Amino acid sequence: MTTALAIAAAPVPQAGVDLLRIVQINEEIKRVVGVSFKINIMALNAIFLAKRAGTAARGFGVLSNELRVFSQNLRCCMQTLTGLIHGCVNEVSLVLQDNRLARLLGETAKLAPQQATLAGVMARRSRQSEQHLEQLFRLRRQLERALEEVFQMVELGGVLAKSAKIEAAYGQSFAPSLAQVSGEFDGVVEEIRGSLESLRRSPFFAGNRDR
Amino acid sequence: MKTTKTIFQDGDHKWVAIVRDPQKPNHLIDTNEYLVTHGGRGLVLDPGGAEIFPAVFSALSAEFDPSALAGVFASHQDPDCCSSLALWLEFNPAMRCYVSWMWSGFLPHFGGSAETFIPIPDQGLDIPLDGLMLQAIPAHYLHSSGNFHLYDKQAKILFSGDVGAALLPPGMDGLFVEDFDAHIGHAEGFHKRWMGSNEAKRDWCERVSQLDIDLLCPQHGAIYRGADVQRFINWFDELPVGILSR
Repeated sequence: MTTALAIAAAPVPQAGVDLLRIVQINEEIKRVVGVSFKINIMALNAIFLAKRAGTAARGFGVLSNELRVFSQNLRCCMQTLTGLIHGCVNEVSLVLQDNRLARLLGETAKLAPQQATLAGVMARRSRQSEQHLEQLFRLRRQLERALEEVFQMVELGGVLAKSAKIEAAYGQSFAPSLAQVSGEFDGVVEEIRGSLESLRRSPFFAGNRDR
Repeated sequence: MKTTKTIFQDGDHKWVAIVRDPQKPNHLIDTNEYLVTHGGRGLVLDPGGAEIFPAVFSALSAEFDPSALAGVFASHQDPDCCSSLALWLEFNPAMRCYVSWMWSGFLPHFGGSAETFIPIPDQGLDIPLDGLMLQAIPAHYLHSSGNFHLYDKQAKILFSGDVGAALLPPGMDGLFVEDFDAHIGHAEGFHKRWMGSNEAKRDWCERVSQLDIDLLCPQHGAIYRGADVQRFINWFDELPVGILSR
């Protein structure tokens, strides 16, 4: 759809719906960031616990430290997602603005058909609008790819948590406490996985397949 | 669509009122836009909100080539005055917008670039239009804290923004005030509430009493002409406004 009149006839509410979906994605991202802070604190406590347990929990200590690094990396990735989300909000806002301007220019063209300048203005607006839609499409894809990368990272986090569970069994007298902590790790990583799964299913990404 | 009415013409010097759109949705306040042309250039006064742009543009373009518009005069910052700015600039990015310095940082939210705005200092400004000199007359605190009216000495016309505005009932939509006493009742509530200061009002009344005015053209309602101009100024001078009017 490249003509100005075609843009004017485009389904205006879509951008508004997109904005709502972006807000929902952002809320989920904030939830994951909150949980990643929780992992960091839990990992710190686990490291102290492993130190108290001594050589029997050395492996557990190493894994706890890895989980701490995982939490920091996860936060970095979520920052990238937040940056992309801000970019999406910006582009969707421009698309909303384009839609409004296209509607008003379309109405103007109907009322002042004799104005030759209108066609030029509408064609220019149409090109700009097309660029905004292209940019939004690109951002959607980037966001989808970045989300996939986070998902891979969380898979690794899951492996770490499960390995910690195994290591906990070797913790001798500390085994019950270490098992409890590693169980909590596993639960939290599952929580993140659930959030990411719901993000993956967001209808916002359907825009990538529509185009 | 809005209609255009020529309210002054002397050769190529012209004032056109763009008024009364029967198709206008009721939830939008009715506004008057004015076009001043001189030589080959034009200036639109309070060009209106974005939603009424199609009606204003089409009416104006029937009278004047919009690409020859030199600029926009915004009496103040309200959306019904100039939220259509971005759309006008689509047609002619070289258009300039004259507005109080106070609002020159706010109006870019409607559109335009750093070059678009010409801030008017508090004491006013002479605005050239192809050889014609128009005067931005201070009207601060009369509805807005940074507010200007536009006076054309040659045409003896004062564009008075919200001063003189009346919210007219259906059926009473003539272009000119025909019966001052009947009309002014529809202006009273508006002025009492929207004009912020009696002191500012007195200053304005004194200032404009010294001008030679044939037509006093508000942004809403009907135009005052002849003796009704002074009648309005006297009425306004007496009217308690703002917080003191409670």
